Amino acid sequence: MFRLPIAEVNVEAVSIFAVVLSITLGITYWASKQTKDATTFWAAGRGITGVQNGFAIAGDYMSAASFLGIAGLIFLFGFDGFLYSVGFLVAFLIVLYLLAEKMRNSGKFTMADVLSFRLNERPARTAAALGTLVVAGFYLIAQMVGAGALIEALVGIKFSLAVLLTGAFMLCYVIFGGMLATTWVQIIKAVLLMSATIVLSLLVLGKMGWNPVDVFNRAEAQSQDGHAYLEPGLKFTNPIDTISLGLGLLLGTAGLPHILMRFFTVPDARAARRSVVWAVGLIGSFYVMTTFLGFGARALLGEAGTTGDVDEAGNLAAPLLAQNVGGGDGTFWGDAFLAIIAAVAFATILAVVAGLVISASGAVAHDVWSNVIRKGRDSESEEVYVARIAAGVIGAIAITIAIIGGSDLNVSYMVGLAFAVAASAVFPALLMALTWRRFNTTGAVTGVLFGVISSLALVLTGPDVRSDPLINLTQPAIISVPLGFIGCFLGTLLTRPEEKAESGFDELYVRSQTGLGAEIPLEGAGLTPRPRRRRAAAAATTTHLHR
Amino acid sequence: MARTTPGDGGEAPDRAAQEFATGGSTRHPEINWAAAERSPEFRELVRRRWSFTIPALSFVFVWYFGFIALASYAPSFMGESIYEGLTVGYALALSQFVMTWFLGWLYLRQADRVFDPLAKRAAERALTGSSPPDRPAPASAGPGEEVRH
Repeated sequence: MFRLPIAEVNVEAVSIFAVVLSITLGITYWASKQTKDATTFWAAGRGITGVQNGFAIAGDYMSAASFLGIAGLIFLFGFDGFLYSVGFLVAFLIVLYLLAEKMRNSGKFTMADVLSFRLNERPARTAAALGTLVVAGFYLIAQMVGAGALIEALVGIKFSLAVLLTGAFMLCYVIFGGMLATTWVQIIKAVLLMSATIVLSLLVLGKMGWNPVDVFNRAEAQSQDGHAYLEPGLKFTNPIDTISLGLGLLLGTAGLPHILMRFFTVPDARAARRSVVWAVGLIGSFYVMTTFLGFGARALLGEAGTTGDVDEAGNLAAPLLAQNVGGGDGTFWGDAFLAIIAAVAFATILAVVAGLVISASGAVAHDVWSNVIRKGRDSESEEVYVARIAAGVIGAIAITIAIIGGSDLNVSYMVGLAFAVAASAVFPALLMALTWRRFNTTGAVTGVLFGVISSLALVLTGPDVRSDPLINLTQPAIISVPLGFIGCFLGTLLTRPEEKAESGFDELYVRSQTGLGAEIPLEGAGLTPRPRRRRAAAAATTTHLHR
Repeated sequence: MARTTPGDGGEAPDRAAQEFATGGSTRHPEINWAAAERSPEFRELVRRRWSFTIPALSFVFVWYFGFIALASYAPSFMGESIYEGLTVGYALALSQFVMTWFLGWLYLRQADRVFDPLAKRAAERALTGSSPPDRPAPASAGPGEEVRH
């Protein structure tokens, strides 16, 4: 699947990896000293500022699929690859307008806290945990396999060793450092990724004589598809599939549990919405620059990619571009740039998988163990203990599947599947719980089940998996999202109204919109102790309750 | 009225002092949420927020799916050059970025200037409205004291 551009172990890349990894381990050590209670483990004590959380969201969200994948898709398919960039970004307006502040105001540690706030706790929580685990599970396996293949190609170590290393560091961050370490790993990754992308884009622009438009003309001239390279249609030939992809990206982002969980780490709703806008600025700038990575790779590497040097998925387009603008294979800067991009890609993957594992361990420990099995009667220390075990087990399962499946495991549909389940199982139920008074427990459970089952069924019988697809759609969202909403409506309207769900709606609705009663930050949480005045402002409405 | 979950204080005595119960979001049954939801302050907040987000999101859906529909059904139009090789499609894609940044900034501004002050008023109303008029709320040890978390 991946061609190795480097035969032997890349010493520069390994040294840069070592530097980045030792910094993250230092942070994990610091974080482990702070992590003594559940609020620090799950929510970093709610002391992450809006700006910090904006960087962390960007670090949590932009996976290797964004960095190397989109550059590769643009390199291979031109304009169609850029459609992903657009969808991934616009989606954050849904998060900002409909969810970010409401999650912060009404939840505690996990997305399931919000869904089960006014519903019958055990079934609603179980459904939410199921949605979280399906999304995080597929996303995690896809990332692990991608990580193994990329590190194998970039650094020259074996696939299984690369997966093991990724898994080991991911588990180290989560188990010892919890959300605090995860957050700072994500922040560092975002800074590294943005810096590397800016430098690479400037170097590409320099090669274009500082004329940004020239990158299109030169890419077109280098492509065997000619002008069609700049037109839509090289990758997406079925219009319904394209629209379905657009819908899945737009609503799927708003249902990603590891992104939603980040909103519990800030002190209040104001910081939550600021963090989204910071993330939008960072992620948007990054995706604009994927133009220079993708089209630039085509313009400078030419057809070399499709015939040999770049693998068939295009994932090595960006690293090879870095080598090219640095001076080429064998030159000092060429090899150094390749090594830097490899290290950034590794950091990128680590930050995303750590975020996925902590959200999945939240579903197991906070939702299923503490609140469904132990009915909230366990202690905080027990919850954190179970969370650490759960993270270890989830990580071990993902590592095992990735190693057994090997680099030939077809993961191309898995990230799409994760987005589809998030869009059609998690998002509809969350939105209904927050806005519809009549919504009840049965509606939540049927909504989640409809979304999960329809997405899985459509993808597993679709063209990515079977040669004789039942429905010829690679992207299930256009069918599964309406089914998720229909599940919510039917389950609710075909069963009796729940008095508790409707009276509890008053509390959820007022709390989500005003922040009254929202969970407050721990004293002294955050990197630096904040002045009292700002802390007072941060907890403005909630402190009324504590006077 | 509001459901009491474990950890709200009711079962606290049978646990060690430093061990807090887990459970979901901390609940505040001492507030009359039904009255708060019906208060004119809260109604005003919700009305103002929806009257911003619904038109804005409608525009996002039209502009975004319009872009995707054009990319799906009119590829050669999207490939037309408008400036020295910059295509219609790419310019429209960039407009999606500009839209996201602008609508994000606009929401922040609107939230700081309009929604937050209204939310504060609605929250104050909910707190004062929750105590019966004949029994003034205690100044130092309010009902919130027992839900400290």
